[in-house]
Amino acid sequence: MEKILKKLLNYHWVIHIFIIVISVMFFISMRSNSTMETDLDKYMPQSHPDFIYSNQAEEWFHIQDGIIIAIENENGIYNSETLQKVKDLTKSLQKMDEIEKADVTSLYTADNIVGTEMGLEVNPFFKRVPTTESSLQKLQKEVRGNDMIYKRIVSEDEQVTLIIAEIGDDSFSQEFYQKIVDLADKYEGPEKLYVAGRPIVEGSLAALAPADMIKMVPIVILVIVLVLFIIMRSFKATILTLSVVIFSVLWAFGLMSVLGVPIYAVSTMLPVMLIAIGVADGIHLFNHLKIYLNKHPNSSKKDALADMIQGMWKPVVMTSITTAVGFISLLTSQVYPIKYFGMFTAFGVMMAMVFSLVMVPAGIMTFGLPRWKTKKHIKDQKKLSISDLKLSTKLLKFKKLSIIGTFVIVAVSLWGMTQVWVDSSFLSMFDKSSSIVVTDTFINENFGGTSTLNVIFDSEENGAFKNPEVLKALEDLQSDVDGSLEVVGNSFALTDYIKRMNMVMNADDPEFNTIPDSREMIAQYLLLYEMSGDPENLLKVVDYNYQKANMTFQLRSDTSLALNTTISKIEEHIPELNKLGVSVNYAGSGYKALVFSDLILSGQITSIILSLLIIIILLSIMFKNIKIGLIGAVPIIITAFISFGIMGILKIPLSTTTALLSSIAIGIGIDYAIHFIEQYKNYATETNNKMETLELTLNHSGRAILYNAIVVISGFLVLLFSLFPGNRSLGALVSLNMFTSFVGTITIMAILLDQSNIFFKKQHKESINV
Amino acid sequence: MFNKIILITSALIVMSTSLFAQGTLTGEQIIRKVYERETPEDQSGELIMTLENSRGDTRVREIKQYVKDFGENEKKIMFFTAPADVRDTSFMSWTYDEDGKGDDQWIYLPALKRVKRISSSGSSDYFMGSDFTYDDLGGRSPSEDKHTLLREETLNGELCYVVESIPKDEDYIYSKTVTWVIKDKLIGLKKEFYDEDEDFLKTLTVNEYENIDGYWMILESEMFNDQKNHKTIMEMKNLKLDSGLKDRIFTERIMTRGL
Repeated sequence: MEKILKKLLNYHWVIHIFIIVISVMFFISMRSNSTMETDLDKYMPQSHPDFIYSNQAEEWFHIQDGIIIAIENENGIYNSETLQKVKDLTKSLQKMDEIEKADVTSLYTADNIVGTEMGLEVNPFFKRVPTTESSLQKLQKEVRGNDMIYKRIVSEDEQVTLIIAEIGDDSFSQEFYQKIVDLADKYEGPEKLYVAGRPIVEGSLAALAPADMIKMVPIVILVIVLVLFIIMRSFKATILTLSVVIFSVLWAFGLMSVLGVPIYAVSTMLPVMLIAIGVADGIHLFNHLKIYLNKHPNSSKKDALADMIQGMWKPVVMTSITTAVGFISLLTSQVYPIKYFGMFTAFGVMMAMVFSLVMVPAGIMTFGLPRWKTKKHIKDQKKLSISDLKLSTKLLKFKKLSIIGTFVIVAVSLWGMTQVWVDSSFLSMFDKSSSIVVTDTFINENFGGTSTLNVIFDSEENGAFKNPEVLKALEDLQSDVDGSLEVVGNSFALTDYIKRMNMVMNADDPEFNTIPDSREMIAQYLLLYEMSGDPENLLKVVDYNYQKANMTFQLRSDTSLALNTTISKIEEHIPELNKLGVSVNYAGSGYKALVFSDLILSGQITSIILSLLIIIILLSIMFKNIKIGLIGAVPIIITAFISFGIMGILKIPLSTTTALLSSIAIGIGIDYAIHFIEQYKNYATETNNKMETLELTLNHSGRAILYNAIVVISGFLVLLFSLFPGNRSLGALVSLNMFTSFVGTITIMAILLDQSNIFFKKQHKESINV
Repeated sequence: MFNKIILITSALIVMSTSLFAQGTLTGEQIIRKVYERETPEDQSGELIMTLENSRGDTRVREIKQYVKDFGENEKKIMFFTAPADVRDTSFMSWTYDEDGKGDDQWIYLPALKRVKRISSSGSSDYFMGSDFTYDDLGGRSPSEDKHTLLREETLNGELCYVVESIPKDEDYIYSKTVTWVIKDKLIGLKKEFYDEDEDFLKTLTVNEYENIDGYWMILESEMFNDQKNHKTIMEMKNLKLDSGLKDRIFTERIMTRGL
């Protein structure tokens, strides 16, 4: 390996041409092939039973997410101008290619089931917009008298009315969103119009968060370049280190496009990961080179590079392999975007290794050694050694304190970890002041809620949902969940139709707002409804054979907590329903997101444990000692603990983005440990003196680690200015992970290393102990 | 009304041969002749209505029906025989020839033991959850549309007129219909419907027709809604024409008691 690398120094031009040609090829492929995947359904494992069921149920009942347009008129909506707008907007939406005509619901399209002295009527509220005062008042009265509309389509204060346009999973795009917003804008004034709904939240997030990340990455790189330059004090070293990162990112995305893998939202974290990991190799290489040049100021560039390769190839290869392992462990995930993310990041890490070992030396061969003022640095070096000696003595002096401190921190983190909460909410990924959140809050305040949970009831028996016992059990569940949970704003099911018809057929007597006792009665009401109303509406709550029913709960929040609370309340009623031969399942996009995030998180936990095990084994093999494997894993474990602990304490929810951070914690933490241990081992053989070894290692490797931490932390702090809370947490947590890994490595791990006496000969160890 | 339904759209009598002697008819004339052809005084039979959704699930309703033409109005009474949970549910409607006068409709739900008036839902409403509107079933007067004879062509071995009808009322649920009328029988064989946005909506196909006692009667027809992927098949069984139905059977009392 070493020989090959040294030989390659003679072919530096070939290397440059080779790398550039391949990069250009990747770049061309990316320009023509790369696609961004924004359809969230594509992210979900379609073979998972919950998804299969939900997708089926969505088809049975035509369950779709709705875009909600709210029209607010502070003087009330019952005037012909506002109603005209409702009608015109409804018609415009119905004419859009992305929207099926029957999927638009508004006061204009809704069915009004009313009882008159004559009997039953199912009519539209209006066809021509009412203009006279009396007809407007009649409309107002009709809406108030209809529970199926009042507080659902028209707000309680009668200042807001909704138009809901349901769309298919795949029809949302940013252009379509813009079309809706433009359409709403046309009707603005004096009415205020709001656009909300899950498709918009999902669609905007899928498009905007990665776009925001793509915008932030150049700034991150810029800051890293600046800090690298300040630390390395060499233009060449900075550029070469940066090239390693940029080429590895380019190659990873290039390979993705060549293999026809689309860019998923998680993939946008790939550059971030590679920046954090990739600069490390360069920093350590140049740090080694600098120290060599300090000792041998007149060395030729070939000799200097030979020494650099000899001293560094092992730790660079080791760190890269262990980091790649951390990412490869993501292949155990059931979620394809995460599998791909793991695979391509691992590829990027390995490429960064190759570039560091091949391109950096080739670059130096071509452009010459970085010019450092060597003399001045020798002085610095000496001064630093003295101060570091103090530090290392201090470090050992406070070893008990360090160990106790570590235990305390881990204990606090453990407590913090118990506070960690998982969130699959899409809304919480937006800033609280963003128009999406503001609109959503507005609609949640005035109506039942913008998020939905569909509960699907299934029976073996044809016609089961005409059975009064079954319907009463459904109603029990419905009123219990709807009545006892604050987060549930509304519910809608077959029971609502039956109850309303029962009441209407009994002279609007509220006593009859119940499920009738006889099956025939229910069947006859349903027949009556089918004969007089729009039977299509009924198919959203019950299937053709009355064997399956769909109950929709409207929730005021899309957090995992809201969904889980609702689900556990529903679960209380399951034994009762099972007795009647009815099984219960869930469907809809909110539920799928919940299952999806659980999948990601459980996958993450498996992959963290797996990668820790593999890394401990790899380290043990590399250093031929199992104790080293365990000691080397200490900073990572601490980093992971603190990372999750802080999230718990600061109430940062564990989401798909933040969960992936554990990979970076492991990837980076282990690098620090390996560099440190490798240097420690080298100095141990060189000096055979424990104190000196520790000092030199802290001085040499410790400094490189510090530089590495400073560079990456300053780069990632830039993400704190992101518009998306998710990206902000990412920046903060990466910085935190870098910091804890660094501190963990030079304190507790250094102490453990020192105490283990692994790299010292037996007799020496005894002499010290004695 | 329902005899128009079955008879008008569907069953058409061969009109006088003079029709052919006149040479080419206008679209308006053809549709009017279809609408005004002679129908039996009364008829009774079993109607089997099968609704089928896109997944192939079906709902089958079996109905005994009696229809009689009273001159200025037409009365119809229907009794559900299947499915079991709606057996004996009955439905009565009185349809008036007079323009603008809506139907009177009653329903009797045996579980409720009461006859209820249902407000007439208008001619563009769907009939009993089927894919047919009341108008589709034959209630639409030719004067409400502007008719144009497009061409003549052979369909299913029958030489047909192809007539396009455009409603005079722009707010009507259809923007256009195209009807294939069998030239020598003057019954519709096929009809295509376009919705208010001029998108293709549905097709009516007549599957079976027969000359009974001198009247051309349609025994089976099918409406396929292309937008909803939903289908309704209407079959007539044991059709009896001019059997002298009594006037007194078209009452609320008979609805509750049955025949």
